[in-house]
This record gives sequence, structure tokens and C-alpha cells, in this order.
Amino acid sequence: MCDHDSIYRGVSRRAFLSHYAGSLGPLALTYLLADKIARADAGAKGLHALLPESGRAKAVICLFQHGGPSQMDLFDYKPALTKWNGKPYPGGSLETHFDKQAGNVLGSPYRFQKYGNCGMEMSELLPQTGSIADDITLVRSMLTESVDHEAALRLIHTGKFLAGMPAMASWVVYALGSENANLPAYVVLSDPGGLPVDGDKNWSSGFLSPIYQGTPFRASGAPVLNLATPSGVSAGTRGRQLELLREFNRRHLERHPENSELAARLANVETAARMQLAVPDVVDLSQETEATRDMYGLNRPESREYGTRCLLARRLIEKGVRFVQLFLKGQPWDTHNKNAETLKGLCAMSDQPSAALVKDLKQRGLLESTIVLWTGEFGRLPISQGTDGRDHNRRGFSLWLAGGGFKSGYVHGATDEFGYESVEKVVTVHDLHATLLTALGLDHRRLTYPHDGRDASLTDADVTKAQVVRELLA
Amino acid sequence: MTQRLQFRTQAVDRPTGQRRVLRVLAIVGVCLLWVAPLYAADRPAPRFTAEIQPLLKRHCVKCHGPAKQEAQLNLSTASGVIRGGMNGAVLVPHDVGNSLLWKRVADDEMPPESPLSEDEKALLKNWIAAGAPGLPSRDKVAGAVAGKDHWAFQPLQAVAVPAVRDKSRLANEIDDFLQSELERQGLSLAPAADRATLIRRVSFDLTGLPPTVAEIETFVNDPAPNAYSRMVDRYLASPHYGERWGKYWLDAAGYADSNGYFNADSDRPLAYRYRDWVVRALNSDKPFDQFVRGQIAGDEMAGFTPGNSASAEVIGLLEATHYLRNSQDGTGESDGNPDEVRVDRYTVIEGTIQNMMNSLLGLTIQCAKCHDHKFEPITQRDYYQLQAVLAPVYNLQNWVKPQERFVYASLPGEFEAWDSQVKTLDAAITREKQRLYDWARQHRPHGTVVLADDFDAADLRLDERWSNTAPGDNTPAGSPPANIGSSQAPGVYVAGGVLKVQAADGQSEGWVSTKQKIDWTPAEIGGVIQVTFDLTAVRLNDADPPAERVGYYLALHDFQNDSPVAGGNLLIDGNPKAATTVYLDYPGGGSKSAGEVGGTGYQAGRNYGIRITHVKQGRYQLEHLVDFLPDGKSLTLAEADLPDGGFGIAVYAKRNFAVDNLVIERFEGQSESGTALTQFRKNYDVEKQALDGVQKQRAALSDRPGKIAWASDLSDTAPDVFVLERGDYAKPAAKVEPEGLAVLSDAGHPFQIRPVGETRKTTGRRLAFAHWITAPDSTAAALLARVQVNRVWHRHFGTGIVAPVDNLGISGALPSHPELLEWLAWNFAARSASAETGTVPWSLKQLHRVILNSAAYRQSSRTDEVAFQKDPDNRLLWRYPVRRLDAEAIRDALLAVSGDLNPQVGGPFAATKRLDTGEVVPADPNGSGRRRSLYLQQRRTQVTSLLAVFDAPTIVFNSPQRPVSTMPLQTLALLNSEFVVERARNFARRLESAADADPARVRLAWLSAWNREPESHELTAALEFLEGQAAEHATDNSPRESAWADLCQMLLAANEFLYVE
Repeated sequence: MCDHDSIYRGVSRRAFLSHYAGSLGPLALTYLLADKIARADAGAKGLHALLPESGRAKAVICLFQHGGPSQMDLFDYKPALTKWNGKPYPGGSLETHFDKQAGNVLGSPYRFQKYGNCGMEMSELLPQTGSIADDITLVRSMLTESVDHEAALRLIHTGKFLAGMPAMASWVVYALGSENANLPAYVVLSDPGGLPVDGDKNWSSGFLSPIYQGTPFRASGAPVLNLATPSGVSAGTRGRQLELLREFNRRHLERHPENSELAARLANVETAARMQLAVPDVVDLSQETEATRDMYGLNRPESREYGTRCLLARRLIEKGVRFVQLFLKGQPWDTHNKNAETLKGLCAMSDQPSAALVKDLKQRGLLESTIVLWTGEFGRLPISQGTDGRDHNRRGFSLWLAGGGFKSGYVHGATDEFGYESVEKVVTVHDLHATLLTALGLDHRRLTYPHDGRDASLTDADVTKAQVVRELLA
Repeated sequence: MTQRLQFRTQAVDRPTGQRRVLRVLAIVGVCLLWVAPLYAADRPAPRFTAEIQPLLKRHCVKCHGPAKQEAQLNLSTASGVIRGGMNGAVLVPHDVGNSLLWKRVADDEMPPESPLSEDEKALLKNWIAAGAPGLPSRDKVAGAVAGKDHWAFQPLQAVAVPAVRDKSRLANEIDDFLQSELERQGLSLAPAADRATLIRRVSFDLTGLPPTVAEIETFVNDPAPNAYSRMVDRYLASPHYGERWGKYWLDAAGYADSNGYFNADSDRPLAYRYRDWVVRALNSDKPFDQFVRGQIAGDEMAGFTPGNSASAEVIGLLEATHYLRNSQDGTGESDGNPDEVRVDRYTVIEGTIQNMMNSLLGLTIQCAKCHDHKFEPITQRDYYQLQAVLAPVYNLQNWVKPQERFVYASLPGEFEAWDSQVKTLDAAITREKQRLYDWARQHRPHGTVVLADDFDAADLRLDERWSNTAPGDNTPAGSPPANIGSSQAPGVYVAGGVLKVQAADGQSEGWVSTKQKIDWTPAEIGGVIQVTFDLTAVRLNDADPPAERVGYYLALHDFQNDSPVAGGNLLIDGNPKAATTVYLDYPGGGSKSAGEVGGTGYQAGRNYGIRITHVKQGRYQLEHLVDFLPDGKSLTLAEADLPDGGFGIAVYAKRNFAVDNLVIERFEGQSESGTALTQFRKNYDVEKQALDGVQKQRAALSDRPGKIAWASDLSDTAPDVFVLERGDYAKPAAKVEPEGLAVLSDAGHPFQIRPVGETRKTTGRRLAFAHWITAPDSTAAALLARVQVNRVWHRHFGTGIVAPVDNLGISGALPSHPELLEWLAWNFAARSASAETGTVPWSLKQLHRVILNSAAYRQSSRTDEVAFQKDPDNRLLWRYPVRRLDAEAIRDALLAVSGDLNPQVGGPFAATKRLDTGEVVPADPNGSGRRRSLYLQQRRTQVTSLLAVFDAPTIVFNSPQRPVSTMPLQTLALLNSEFVVERARNFARRLESAADADPARVRLAWLSAWNREPESHELTAALEFLEGQAAEHATDNSPRESAWADLCQMLLAANEFLYVE
């Protein structure tokens, strides 16, 4: 990557564009052109946001766990829960989502053990995640602002309560663009079984240009909408068509030679053709060895689908995609009933592939430059809902991060005795965003975009008091 | 300086006009100072708004602006500059050396990080030396409300038209303003575009559709000198004008066909009535102030009493209020704790305020929810005063869910006509049902009676045949068990020849059973046993609610679940409105649903029952009977599910009903009675035709006419509204009253609540607001006019005079041509009506006419190297910009050119659906899916993919402006999507039927898609392409047709199709 800042400073935007047109290819050019309206008068500042000393990370893979994984059954061992199991919660009032179904303390039926040289404590449900304990940072002291799924999803994805704001990944690609002109910068690997709760709002670019929104890769057929040439169209007929189209556009451009938008559109004919080759290639898993497929759990029915997407994520990152996000159908971690039983199935699905992704990135030397983030939108309560479920909890939850300059074998923060409320080294979702941007070499205070009469940003630090959590970074 | 203050055509020597002219002249005196100060140096003095203010904004306002005000200095407004900061005045006009502003800048002390360039310094210096023109006098500034002097917060002023040197290109005043700025840069307006270019430009601009070939030929060949303005007038009169410009307003107002907020994103099936009202209002050129007032307070203006019929105008006013309902509203689905429900409700009000303030006044206001706005002179109090305007509609304590906010209002006679049709048909249905029932009773085949009870015998001893225990069981069912022969609840008793079931109010899950044990499993294949009874009533007292269920049992054998028998105790849980659930009771396993039967609900006056048929070895079909005939779904059970046992009637809490003529009978499969049953069914179907006929008519009858999703006060007393401390819903502070924004207040036009009238119980708060924001000559109306004029300009030229159109506040951009914007706004809103000139205040069509008749609009898009170097972004409009069509215009044009456009205007949205592939497409691709994009369902979470790829927004709040992106996915859509491929094919077919020879078809193709004649080299290239492409397609059925479709597709994929010059 070039240093945006030094190029940008002191030169006109137009000169900047012409410089970049050569070095980054047409897709990057179109990325920059698209923002004309907002940039022309208010000076968008995505390109000013690079920190003096670049972060290590160049890419992010977010394994998003819709529904709110239960921290006290997975990551946050609380012996007090076992002790008080079945008794009224002794710690005062709890903030619940479903007021009328609050029950007694619910202990975890799962054993916890220490993993790795660092001795990170995790549940027996996560033996594979345990095997990467020495490579990850586990945050046990997360805090968010809503016990409502949609609102909490918006917060963790966009940093805002309000709907319609840009996703974190959109901010990142707005700032850093793409390293591969033939693939989208932000790829969404949605569950082939269906959309997650809140659907494509999860990867919306909000008020940023639509070019920064996530591009979902479909599970079957052509991975990108309209990618495949219609059946029955031969290479010969299509070739002549494109020749004609080029000629039309070239002559049109001659009438407006300085119009960079038209030039970009002319170039897009070639880019589209290259995408038609590049995308099927990147999703072709037959290029992977049997050992790799096995490692990602592709040979086990319960983890095959999720593992396939984890493997796909690695392939995309390898090819220069900036941000890959995995989503699950609906909100499977939302264990309002049969908490323990449901977790078993979900861990069987995700534990091995998630860990394999980290191991694989590491063995390929990509982990240094790639952040892997495993998180849900909130956590769950120490008491039961009904007989065997757990209700939403915004005051305490756990997540893990690997690579991209985050510490390895490190546990950050703690919740109270019952795992209800984060009490030590509390990390808000805004702190998380600020820290992620820092790891990517971006200044969260300077990564802004003019919106609604002000410079909007992912963290809005003046309001949210977002702070970079330096302790998480190596 | 010429002082053409009004349209050239207007006479100003009339007595009424004269007074106005005098006033105008007085203002011009001020304006002269503002726009062209006396400055004797050899070059013109820098102008504050055009040059100095942008410079200050660029370099200083971040620290010395409304947000930070370091050193108490705010350089974001003219008065802030003159007022100075904690170190006193920052400038002394004409005295550069003593001006603090200059000293700090000259020493590079300020701005601390990146000093001004030499050019910028020179500009600042010259300006101060020239006396700092463009600033108000110091004594005027003292004591004024902060920010009140912002240019957009002033009443409208008549502006003098500037002087220009080269008048050759000027068509109207717009050109004077633009040309004078261009001349400052040594530039000029471009020559006029050719006619083909102009008609394409005007047609897309005004209707969102391409001109037809006939329209092009008419205009291009029109010899009249006013051919152009006549063409403009034709498109302004087109019904498609309202569709195009209506969509712009709907986007600005945040319109959507779904509720949003939660994942469910439920539909708004009635929102379309508001959409159609907007389209009609624009087509009829409803003056914009009336247009606005109707949307804010149409219900209070209408003088309408719910329950009455109404005129079309009144109905329109009610529809218009849906404007206040465009916000997301998840309260129909709220299910969280009370705090969350409160958040959901507040979100509706907050979204509505945001939509209103932004669509009407171009202000962003939501910051003021938690604290005084840091960038705008809007206080937190202002914010909650606006909430108080809406609180009677959105009453947090007395909330109405979105699906319940509606009113019925229909044209006189409309409801009555519908109602009488309903009554006639309902009576016919009742009659036919009775007739059929009587017929069925008379003609139904009778089997061997196993058990019958008509509850008629006078000396009836019910307990001889009925019991509260199952046959052979000792333990009574229910707690307490049902009394037999007693009206003491729970109990069953005979009265008036029917059996009455009197359940207790509390829990009483019992039943009564026949003492007789019945064999429910006929031995022979084809054997039948059936139970039927008349349901004579579903309540015992008129005051009772109808029974929630009518339940009865088959195969009752044991209540205690300790029987060795597997199944039985089969509860038929008759549902009054839907299919009936069948529960099977397994000993120790509890009661489980075995599925549903039937479909006709349990209503008094019909005969119900169950038929069991032995269909194959060990399998028994359970059919629901209505009037002795199978009804809806059936189930199949095993023999073990149907042990021998009694027939029972459920005695459940609050489920009172009455039955009569209970018959259990048996039919043998191949016997005479079995055949009779088959014959009966055939005859019944014939008899039933009359009933089917009237029922079909009833179903075809539309819903009650006149249902309108409106916004109206819930009562004439308003709930208290409080400022919320830091926006915290749990922390109400000072109580507030409704009021307009303080910064726009002016003494002559107060916010004033007047009685609304006798007919409706509303508070009049919204009506007061509607008048406040549109009051002639008021400050608020001035901003309203500026925002709207700027928005219209933005749509015609691609960029607003203030470029981001959603912000005319202090934090917004400065206008590129402030005087032009003022002139347009003044002419739009402040000119008085004149019959002579046809002038109507607030007329949008008049505004379009002025803009479209300007030379600026009629310029060509030609390239000019010199002009491009000086003004690469074309902010001075030295040519007409080349613009890409928006998503809707692209899709609509594709349909229009291929001849597929479904021209239906208005009505409910055309549904869309999400395919498994994730693509969102119209649900009915060849019908409603070919309507204009405006009519496709605007579902917030389901934007039609083709529109989304060309930047159609997901509506969350409003969307006054869209980015224009250029990305490969668009190219892929044009090359590979089924939609475009099909359009190309149909376009080719259309050409084939319209012209015989290829050259004529090529000409028609160019005229249709690109709206111009093909050049000769294009014709040659096209013919060559067709030749070669047909060869490539040699193995196709019709190579020529395929080649034509391929050519057409490339015309539609080309930039010339996507862009307008």
C-alpha cells in the first residue's frame, strides 16, 4: 500500500485521483469517484485517517455469532453459579429482556479447563478454540448498551443505536480501499440457510457510498449476482458484444474526455470481465488439499458448512480482500430455552473451523496482518429464563481476537462473581471499534465522513468516549 | 446595475406593484452594499459569502466555530466575525494592520497547523482593506440570538439582478446571475444544445422517462419560435411529471411501504394512498405551502368527522397526514421490557421530527435531543417544543400501534353502495346456507343408529344416559366435575329441547360422556362411523362472549391415564374461526396435538361432526363434517388411537354452548347406505352451487372503502411534554409547550394555536405549526422556500446551489450563487399572485418553467479546456453537466424502450420478493413487476436489487440526496441480468414490427434508446455488427433475431443510454 496521507497532502483531489488511477486499478478509482457529492463540498476525510506508525493489520475476518453466546458456559468460568444453582439470585436486581420469565441462578453444566501455555480457562465445549489459546486475546469484560437484538446488533456493527449507519467494515474499506481490483473489498459470507436477524442491514454502508457495503457471496450458483454470462451466450457472441460496447463508450467518452466517471465506467467493462474469472477462482475449494479440508471440519457434517465459509474467508483474504464477515442464519446463539443443549450443537458447528482458520492463517504467515474477531452482540444472564434458558445480558459478555497485532495468550478484564456485569477493565463496543481501527493503522478520531451537518465517525468519540484499549495490542 | 427585480414580462407600474417596488428598492440599497461594495482598488473586492466565508470555514471554524468557540470566537457567521472574541474585535475595516485576524494569519500563528497560502492571505488582506464588505454593522449584532444572522435564517429579500457584459446568451434572470459569476472568471455560458439533446434532457428531468420517437420528431421539426417552451409545457402537463417529482419528495419525506425498525419490517399496506396523493398534488401543481400544510395538519384543516362521508379534497387532506407516519415504527412488534417499549415509541417521534425538519427546513436536529445543538442555533428546548407539537398524535402513555392508526373516509354514497352490496350478499349467503342445510338434513342418508339423543323428551333423565365419568371408569373428570342435569356450573342440562353446556368461569377442564361404550373402529375396509350434532348456540346468555372453542371427545375410556390402552380420549377442539385441532391423550404422555381437521369455523346454526372411515388395514381416516359433509383437512389415525369408549362433550371454562340432535351412526362400506353417501355427496355439490356463487361474489367484493392510514391527535387534550435530561427517557426535566424553532421565530409571525373547529377533537398544535412554517414573509417560510428551491435546482442541474441539499444550516455548505438562490426563493414564495402574469405563489411548475427556460439549462455539455482548468467541478455552470440517470429512471427507461412498461398509475404497491439467491425482484415479473419503479414496494429491508445496484437507498430516515457510484456490479447487471436481457429481446421485437429494413430499424433503435439519429458511421457499424453477430448465431433458430437482441442490449448497456447530457 502506498501512504495515502503523504500523497494526499497538498495536492488537488484530481491530481490525487490521476495518480491513483495507475497504481490501484480501476476498481479503486471508482471507489474514490463515487463519493463525489459529499466530498466535493465537505471534504471527506477517510484518507486523512492513517496513523503515523501503521498498524500491523491489513485485513479483518469477523466470525459473527448472532444471538448472544453465553459467556458463562463458554469463556467465563463462574464457580458461584454452580454453588447457587437453583437458588434465587443473591446479587440484587438484574436487567432482563423478558421481565416475567426471570428464574433462579443457573449453573453451567460444562466443565472448564486451562488451555495452552498461557493457561486460558475455557469450557470443555471449546477444545479447538482451547488449542489456539496461545494465539488469541480473550476479552471477558465487554459492555454494550441494549438488551434488544436489533439495537445491540446496530451498536456492535455500526457503533450507533440508530438504524441505517455504516457498518464498521464499510468504514474500513472507505479508508483503506481494496488490494484486489477484481474482487469486492468487503465480502459477506452469509449463511446459505438464510439471512441473519436484521438481514442486509448488518453489512449496509449507511450514509457512506453503496460501494462500501458488503457484497454477499452466494452459497450456490454464481457467487455474485449477475456474475455468470447468461446461458446460451457463447464466448464469440459476447466478445463481439463487448467490442461494440467499448466502441460505443469510447466514442461517448471522446465527447467528454475529461469525465473521469465515464472513463471509470468504460474501464468497468474490463473489470467486470476480470471479476467473472476471479470470483469463481477464489471460491473454488477444489484447489485446497485434503488435509486443509479436514482441518476446517469439512469432513464432519455438523461443521462442514461453517467450515467451508471459514476456509473461503482465508482464500479471500489471501487474494487481498479487506474485510470478510461470516454470519449465521437467524440468531442461533439466542438460547432462551435449552441453553446447554443448544450450545453443544453450536460449538460442534463452529469450534473446529474457527480455530482452524486461526491456525491456517498462522501457518501461512497471514495472521500477522489479519485480525480474526469472534463475537456476538451481547451475552447472557447468570439466571435461568424459564427452566433451562438464559435471557439477554448487555452488561457482560466475552469475545476473542487473534492476529493483526493483538496480543496472544492474553485474557483481558473480568465480570463479577456471577458473570453478570463487567467490572474489571471494561471494554465498550466503542472501545472495541477504536482498538480495531488502531490495529489497522487508522485514527478513529480522524476517520470521518460529513453527514448530517457534522463529521460523523464510527466511534464518535466525543459522545461515546471511545478509547483505544492499548493493553489488547502487542 | 440593471434592476430587473422580477420576471422580465411583469409590468411594475401598477399601483399595487409600486409599493412593492419601493420596498424592494429600499432593500436593494442594502443589497448593493452586500453584493458590490464601493471599493476603489483596481480589482474587485473579495466578497464575504463567496470567498471569505469559505476560507474561514476551511481554516478557522473547526476551532473558532459553533462547536468549540475557542477564545469565545465564532467565525462561522458574519455576525460572529464582526462580534469578535475574548480578545475583542478581530478586525477593523479598512485597517489591515490593526486587525487581529490579519495579524495572527500574517504571522502564520493561525491556523496553528497549516498556514494560509499566499493567495489566501492576499484575499483576506484585500477584503479587510476594502472595508470588510458583506458584514452587518457592529451595533446590529449586539444582543441578537446566536446564529440568527446565518444567511438562510433571514426573511426573503428581493435581490437585484447583477450586471453582465455579454448579454448575448441570456434568456432570463437566472442567466444574469450565472453569467456574472462566469465573467469574473473570464468564462461564459456554453452555446445551446441541439434539440435532440434538449428533449432527452427535459423528458427525463420532468418525467423520468425517455421521450418517445414521435415526441422527438414533433419537437425537432417544430418551426415555432417557442417550440422549446411548448415542449417543456407538454412534459410539465404529463401525468408522469407527478410520478417523477413525487418520488423526489417521497424520498425527502422518508416514505416507505414497510414499518422497519425490527427485523420483521412489516408491511404498510395503506401507505400508497399518501404516495398517490403526493403524485396527484404535484400533477395539479398544488401550491407548495398548501402541500406542506396538508401533510402536517390535513386532518385539522379538513373539517372532517369520522363516520361521515367526505369530498375528494377532504379525503386527500386525510391521506396527506401520512407524511407524519413515514418514520420507522416498530411499535406494532414491540415485545421487550417497558424501558425498551418506551425506546421503541420515542424512536417513532424522533424519526418523525427528523424527517420533518430535514424535508421542510433542511436542518439536522437530532443532536438537540440530548443537548443544545453544537453546530446549529437549535436548543434542546426547541427540540422538545417540536415534540410537543406531535405529542397529541404520538402519545407515549396512550400509544396506538401503526396498524391501528386509521380512519374511514369515503366519497358520498361510496360506503353506502358497498354496504348495501355487503348486506344483500350476506343475506343471500345466510339464506342459501339455511336452504342447503335444510336440504342436507332432508336428503342425507341415514346409517344404522348406534346412539341418538334429541334431548326432547319431557321426562328426560339426563343422568341415565350421561355421566361425568368415562364408561367403565370410576373417577369423574374435571375439578370440580360437571353436574349432570343441573344448571349449576359446571354442568349440563336440558332446556328448550337442547342440551346446554354451562361451564364455570374458573378452571373446570371436565366433560360429560355417554354411558354407552362405542366401537370407533369399523371392522370392514370402507366401513364408517360418524357422529353429528346441531350446534344451536355458542353462548347461553346474550351478554356472554361467544365460546372460544366447542370441544367434544371420541373414544373416551379413561380419565386417569392409567389404562393399558394406548390412545383414545380424542379431543376435537372446535375452533370458531379456523381449522379444528385434534388432541390425542396418551397415558403418561400427556395430551399431544395429532394435527388439524376441517377449516370451517364453529358457528351456531350448523351441523358439525366427525366421520371415521376404515381406509386400509389398521388405518382410519378422520374427517371433519359440516352439514353432514366432509370439510377441509383430514387426519389418518391408527387403530390403537381409537379404543372403544364414550362420546363426550367438553365442559371447559368460559365455553358455553348448546347442542341438539346428536346422532352416532354406522355405514357399511359396500352396503346400500355406503353408496347412498356417495350419491348424496354428488347431489350436495349441485345444491351447493348457489351458495358458492354468492360466497364468491362476497369474497370478490373489496374491503370496506375509504380506509386511510392517517395521523391525527388522539384527543383534544395534549399529554405533558418535558425536556429530557441528556435525552434520557427516564429523566423528564422542564415542561415545555409547543413552539416553532426560536432561531426562525419572528415577531410578526408567532406560533399561534387557534380553535380547529367543532367537528374534531384535536389540539390544533399541528395546524399552528403548519401555519407558522408557511406564513407569508416569515423567516420560517423563507427557509422552507430556500430549501425547496435548492432541491429543485439540484434535481435539474445535478448539484444544488447549496451542494449537500440536506443542510442549509450553519454547518452546511455555502451557496455557490447566494443571490441566485435568494432570487429564486423570493420569486417562488414571496411574489404576490398576479392574474396578469399568471403568477401563483409557491408554484413548483412555475419554478420549473423559469429554470428550464433559462439559457443555463439549455446549454450544451460541450468540453471547454479553459473553463475546465478554472472550474473542474462546473460549480459555475459553464456547461450543462453530464449526469447519470438514477436507478428508477434506468429501470423505467429500460421498460419504456422495450415497450414493456405497464402504465398503471397509483394503487397498492407492486410486491417484491427475495429469491433464494438473495436477489430482490418483483413478485409478479410480467404484470405489476413492469410498473414504474415508484410503484414497486419500497420495503426498507428489501430494496429491489437492480435499483440497489444503481444507488437506490435503503430508506431508514429520509434520503434527500443519493451518491452516484460507478462499479463493476452495475456493468454485470446490464450484461447478465435476466431483466436486461429480456428487455433487449423485447426491444428487438418491437423494432422488428415497427420497421422492415435494417437501416430503418437501426435509426429507430437509436432514436428509442439514445433519442437521436444515428450517425452514418454508427449505422455502418451497427449493420456490420448485425451481419457478423448473425453468423456467430448461425446455429440459432433465428440468427438475425438473436443478433438484433444483442445489438439492442449493448445500446441499453452503453453510457449514452445511462447518461443525460
